[in-house]
Amino acid sequence: MNNYNPITALILFFVITGFLFVLFRPVKGWFWIVKKNFKSNEKIIIEDILKQLYHFENSGNRVDMKTLVQVLDFNNSRIVEAIKKMTINDLIYFESDILKLTEKGREYALKIVRVHRLWERYLADKTGFSKTEWHDRAELMEHQLSYDETERLSAHLGHPKFDPHGDPIPTKTGKMANVNGVELPLLPVNTVGRITHIEDEPEVIYKQILAENIHIGSLIRVTENNPTRIVFLSEGEEFKLAPIVAANLTVAPIEKEVVLEDNIARLSNLKEHENAKIIGISKESRGESRRRLLDLGFVKGADISIDLKNPLGEPNAYLIKGTSIALRKDQAAKILIKKE
Amino acid sequence: MNKKNIDNIIELSNDLRWQIGDDFHDNLTESIYADAANIVKGTVRTKDSEKHFRLDSKIDKIVTSKAFGFPIMFLILGTVLWLTIVGANYPSSMLANLLLDTIHPALKSGAESINMPWWLDGFLIDGVYLAIAWVVAVMLPPMAIFFPMFTLLEDFGYLPRVAFNLDSLFKKSGAHGKQALTMSMGFGCNAAGVVATRIIDSPRERLIAIITNNFSLCNGRWPTQILIATIFIGAVVTDSFSSLASLLAVIAIAVLGMAFMFTVSWALSKTVLKGEVSTFNLELPPYRPPRFWKTIYTSLIDRTLIVLWRAVVFAAPAGAVIWLISNIHIGNESMAAWAIHSLDGFGFLLGLNGVILLAYVVAIPANEIVIPTILMLTVLVTGIAGGSGAGVMFELDSMHATGDLLRAGGWTLLTAINLMLFSLLHNPCSTTIYTIYKETKSLKWTIFASVMPVILGFVVTFLVAQFWRLFF
Amino acid sequence: METKIKSACETCAYFNAEGLKKLGINTENFDFVVALAGNPNTGKSTVFNALTGLRQHTGNWPGKTVTRAEGGFEYNTQKYKLVDLPGTYSLLSTSEDEEAARDFILFGKPNVTVIVADANRLERNLNLVLQILEITDKAVLCLNLMDEAKRNNITIDERSLARDLGIPVVPTSARYNKGIPELIQTISEIANGTIVCKPHRIKNVPENIEKAVKTLTAKIEKEFPSIPNSRWIAFRLLEGDAHIINALKSGEFV
Repeated sequence: MNNYNPITALILFFVITGFLFVLFRPVKGWFWIVKKNFKSNEKIIIEDILKQLYHFENSGNRVDMKTLVQVLDFNNSRIVEAIKKMTINDLIYFESDILKLTEKGREYALKIVRVHRLWERYLADKTGFSKTEWHDRAELMEHQLSYDETERLSAHLGHPKFDPHGDPIPTKTGKMANVNGVELPLLPVNTVGRITHIEDEPEVIYKQILAENIHIGSLIRVTENNPTRIVFLSEGEEFKLAPIVAANLTVAPIEKEVVLEDNIARLSNLKEHENAKIIGISKESRGESRRRLLDLGFVKGADISIDLKNPLGEPNAYLIKGTSIALRKDQAAKILIKKE
Repeated sequence: MNKKNIDNIIELSNDLRWQIGDDFHDNLTESIYADAANIVKGTVRTKDSEKHFRLDSKIDKIVTSKAFGFPIMFLILGTVLWLTIVGANYPSSMLANLLLDTIHPALKSGAESINMPWWLDGFLIDGVYLAIAWVVAVMLPPMAIFFPMFTLLEDFGYLPRVAFNLDSLFKKSGAHGKQALTMSMGFGCNAAGVVATRIIDSPRERLIAIITNNFSLCNGRWPTQILIATIFIGAVVTDSFSSLASLLAVIAIAVLGMAFMFTVSWALSKTVLKGEVSTFNLELPPYRPPRFWKTIYTSLIDRTLIVLWRAVVFAAPAGAVIWLISNIHIGNESMAAWAIHSLDGFGFLLGLNGVILLAYVVAIPANEIVIPTILMLTVLVTGIAGGSGAGVMFELDSMHATGDLLRAGGWTLLTAINLMLFSLLHNPCSTTIYTIYKETKSLKWTIFASVMPVILGFVVTFLVAQFWRLFF
Repeated sequence: METKIKSACETCAYFNAEGLKKLGINTENFDFVVALAGNPNTGKSTVFNALTGLRQHTGNWPGKTVTRAEGGFEYNTQKYKLVDLPGTYSLLSTSEDEEAARDFILFGKPNVTVIVADANRLERNLNLVLQILEITDKAVLCLNLMDEAKRNNITIDERSLARDLGIPVVPTSARYNKGIPELIQTISEIANGTIVCKPHRIKNVPENIEKAVKTLTAKIEKEFPSIPNSRWIAFRLLEGDAHIINALKSGEFV
């Protein structure tokens, strides 16, 4: 302790903590980056190329080397090398300068898509990760699961048809359910429809949609549609979106004469002394939370009213089937009611 | 049984599930509730005068109102804590009188009369017996007061309303409103607080509540805080304000603990625990008049005695260890002195000293014996007159004398403040660690919950010590 | 302890008061296993204590009993082991509590399942009752908290409730020991086969699901002819319950 000095000690302390922070901070920590780069081998590049080609072909776009290099986050020479290998292994072929998937390549790509969407479904139903993390985690996992593991995962989840964004999950034989609907900006004013899909890429737009509290499975009615904005009513609230954001929502118009009643609302909009009946729980409520709500009696047709207002704003206690049960605002927003 | 047929059944169920879609669970639950509604319609009749319900909702309107909700809550919980701390004083000193001042000497002279060898007598009576006696004397009275009162509130149905009122504060840090109760329970005993987290049915929030329960200052630590605050903090101000100052210091430590609880909860939910499943629901049961004596009885049996038993089981070996390290010599130094000297450097960095660190190492089993151990070790290494010999824990009758002894051991105001901080921020006692393991069934979370608070304690005391030395 | 209030039945002809012995935690050499299920906060633990003479803590908290408690009583020289299952709202989800409760009723094959329900909130409680009746047909509904129901002016027609559910219904106020002798008598009659239940099965299932359930049930019954709860297993398979699928594969149902 001869050369002790509080300032030296403090400086030493902050240098060490700073170093540890730079090394291990979430996502951008050097340790994680090194770990990630270490793992990005050829297999991952090949699989990412297949997946990109698959998505491009599905949306009817043609891809040449230049666009491919732009969308992928890898070193150019490594991509070229991977493409070479993929042509030799009969996964892709060139039609003049356009890249195309062979039958075998398409099958492989479907397998990746299957793992990705299954994993998103798993994250949504069985874990507590927030929506914004699903995509990135699935991006990592899609390269890691073997065929058997994927089958076990699928069985564990009860072989689901759709991922949490509404995208169909290919079966192991490559069968896929259809997503009905068109992009929201294509719908004329006064169309009634149901949101069947919410695109989670690019992230910036997805985050905007999440911030608006737009729920998959909601019935909507378009009230305004012009190049500057699209406005629609849904569940007692009005949503205004820029067309570029709205284009990430897929809506299936409802042909039959369905009246979108005006007194339909979210439970979070219920006022004290109002009575209502539950219509259902939004698809946004998933996994354990959804089951728990159902078990507690938040089922179609049940009478509900506010029992107690919370002094701090939330949670409010609702009287349902003779019992007072408190729910937080975000939960109440996912329960649909019809006011009486 | 034919394996192929069974695989066929499972395959068929997969196909059917694909056909009927993802709404199966919803549909089934709705059908069951529809059946239930039908049955009830034919069998249950309710007359419209709902007197009882109205009484319930009247109470609810008051205890959850903006104006009265929080004052009532602070009043009730504060009263419970105050009654516990003040009310436990008298029986505690009586027990101490009996176990430490009467039975202990009697046992000693008894051992002498049958010519028990000094090491066996020291090991058993000064080591094992004294540790147990201390834990019982300090721990039993407050727990016997705190738990029945808490249980009465619980049985009446008031506690769910507290969770209801406070939930949005806890939500902000990623926790569950019911954590308010497990935290309050932790003020009584962290082990009991950890068990109480069973009422939280969401996995993530339950883990958060378990890991952060240690930030509630438990009964075993209140006396330490009060003693040190009275001796050192009270001495800073003029006599007329000294008791107020020391009271405020202790409250500040408890509030700091809550601040740590919220911050660590928030950090956990954003980092290591973000993948755990999280659900929320809170049922507000009807009020029921508690059955007074039955409640007292069960809370004494279920909570107090079980926790006390576990504490005793852990304290006994600790007493033995304390006696042994003070009496086994390596070269011409006892193990304790040797350990203290090697910990002194690190202790100085933290604004503490080797004695305190060693006391916290050997007192992992029970926070109750920290102060007696510190006093004994201080005498041991400084050679000041006092105490009853190597390895015999003791406490002095007057605070004044205790203060003098500690000051002679090199204690300053900084040491006192950092001891109070470290007493708040260190590993849970071994009873709690064991309970955490039983509740989480996970070695990983047990280790995390044990190590994280110590590291926090090191960092906080270190920073306080450096800045203190810079400015004073 | 408060003095025990003598229930009317304790002196009546068919209840054999001398034949009752509360055995506390002594559960060796039992003749029958009785499971105690029910929603949280219905006084389930109070019923447990009234039957066994134990004093488990019973908080006014939903979800208090997490660990499984066991106790016993002897009635007419037959010994009963009583298992207090965790209180749950349902058996359809996958939380730890629900799995523990479900597995015990399904694989532990209790001789009698006592379902404790809160008479004040019968509709909500029937959710669990109806699910249990899909699993087992040896059950009795213990309609607890009758004292509170009376204060709330709720009257329940127990006979038509018993008819609708197809199982005996015993009204009790376990806190005051009312109705417990009747409950014990009923338990013993079910255990000994004097009472045979014809439990209610869930109706109102949407047509497409009912069709799938029927197809699957037929297959299961063909493979396990003696199984009492094929319909419930079909429900679980359609739900994709990996736990039940594994149990089927390993033959735990035989």
